[in-house]
Amino acid sequence: MPSRKRQRAPEPEPEQDSSPRVRSLWSGTITFGLVSIPVDLLTAVRPRQTAMKLVDSEGHALGRQYHCSKEGKRLDYDDLVRGYETDDGKMVVITDQEFESVAPEMSADIELRSFVPMEQIPALYFQKPYFLAPAGKSAKAYVLLTETMARTGRVAIGSFVMRGHEYLVAIVADNGVLRLDTLRYADEIRTPESIGLPQRSKVAANKVTLFSKQIEALTHKELKISELEDQDARKLQSLVEAKQRERDAVIHPKGAEAAEDTEGGEGAKIIDLMEVLRKSLSKSAVARTAETSQPIDLAERRAQRAARSAPAKKKSAPARAKRKTARKRARRG
Amino acid sequence: MPARAIWKGELQLGKHNVGVKFYSAIEDRSVHFHLLHDRDRAPVEQHIVRKDTGEDVPKEQMRKAFSVGPNTAVILQPEELQELVPPESRDIELLRFVPAGAVGDQWYERPYYLGPDDGQADDYFAFAEALARKQVIGISRWVMRKKRYLGAISAVEGYLVMTTLRRAEQVVSFSGIEPAKSATPQANELKLAEQLVKSIEADFDPQQWQNEYRERLCKLIEAKARGEKIKPVRAPKKRAEGSLADTLKASLAAAREKKVA
Repeated sequence: MPSRKRQRAPEPEPEQDSSPRVRSLWSGTITFGLVSIPVDLLTAVRPRQTAMKLVDSEGHALGRQYHCSKEGKRLDYDDLVRGYETDDGKMVVITDQEFESVAPEMSADIELRSFVPMEQIPALYFQKPYFLAPAGKSAKAYVLLTETMARTGRVAIGSFVMRGHEYLVAIVADNGVLRLDTLRYADEIRTPESIGLPQRSKVAANKVTLFSKQIEALTHKELKISELEDQDARKLQSLVEAKQRERDAVIHPKGAEAAEDTEGGEGAKIIDLMEVLRKSLSKSAVARTAETSQPIDLAERRAQRAARSAPAKKKSAPARAKRKTARKRARRG
Repeated sequence: MPARAIWKGELQLGKHNVGVKFYSAIEDRSVHFHLLHDRDRAPVEQHIVRKDTGEDVPKEQMRKAFSVGPNTAVILQPEELQELVPPESRDIELLRFVPAGAVGDQWYERPYYLGPDDGQADDYFAFAEALARKQVIGISRWVMRKKRYLGAISAVEGYLVMTTLRRAEQVVSFSGIEPAKSATPQANELKLAEQLVKSIEADFDPQQWQNEYRERLCKLIEAKARGEKIKPVRAPKKRAEGSLADTLKASLAAAREKKVA
């Protein structure tokens, strides 16, 4: 999907975040029967530790800009519209108002429509995980839903609209916190028939036994986290450390954009969620990544963020506000 | 039309390797748009520029930098990055097998259907059968198109599916959640909530869910292409107010009514 990448607005820069409040990706309400639970949606995936910034050979920060192919002039996001190319080559422009007109009215709701056993959802369907944090005074209803799902072993299925996309979701209770997983729609998943895989042939019992024995020999009850660590990141980090020791190519770029599209752009939000959970739900909440048993150090992260956001304060407020609306627009569709 | 395989590999199963072909299990259904200049409807071009001067930067001068602290990074030269590219291999290493529930949903990234390589159908289906019988999934590691991957191999209706996994550093979990007293639900509330969950229990049926937004968007595009206009239809949403227990009772009554009707 290279065409899609080109159309995407740049990721928001963490450096711009000078406000201490939580910036959720989406805020809305879970409706469970007639009970409503206001929630904030936050990313549950940290970026890969191989994420890099784009600079020039002298270390100046680089960024992406849009230019008009006819006039050659630089364009702001407010100058952009989205066009759909029909099969016969006609370009149909869809305005912001039109995009809004097809977005469902319930865009601020996640209606839980059924509760299903978790094991019935094949891994094929899971797309991206988020955390839901209680917003406002919803802690009690939030805890009620979490405990009820944990007790019944069910996950809730529903749908909601975020940034112009309608998502099918599963809401899962996990250690007292609600997680929202976006799911793929059935028509987005291929089948062995549609791919053209051969018909299942009769299997020889002796071969099944042979493979079963091999599986048994390697079967364990649990995952081994060290097997799941990022080997690329380890290799990259040791190269970088060696270069840093030699003071080779150490630079101080400000506001460079990500070199590649990486999932879960901002790690800081995880920390935000922990703050929210501590405030609204439980003072004893602890966050950790799977690779380490060390809880994430809140104070250290805050200091890092403060250091990062310091130069951003120089930016004028209107410039920041403008970028924000631009981002919203370009994401749509 | 049958799909084309994107890669071929060999599952390393002791002395018995099984050759497999990788096929994307995902069909891209999203509606793609071109970005255009509002005024003249000309397509836009993306330029990579220096942030301080706004000058275009030619490709050969672009570098990647790895952040080592706030506003400190180390530039990596193309040849250094080249050395980090893992060596090519057809091997798919099976590290261990675990019960399917041992891998949480937040690990799963992107699924591939595996098909048997030429002449490997017997072994392929026998291995899938063995995986299904043992009710386990296999944690795997391989290098595909110059990139390292982690995955979980499982049997889905007799066929092998490999779903790539996120890295351990990316997956976050919480513990120690003990809600404050004021946020702890009462026993009667829990009981009512449980009844409400049971009243809308169902089996997971993905066919039942359609992307209505995508359908409406496609209809709008078709209508506009014909020169028509579509009027938006909106339905107001009502919401109940009252105590948690009362709202739960009202919800239950509504759910029962629905079942009868």
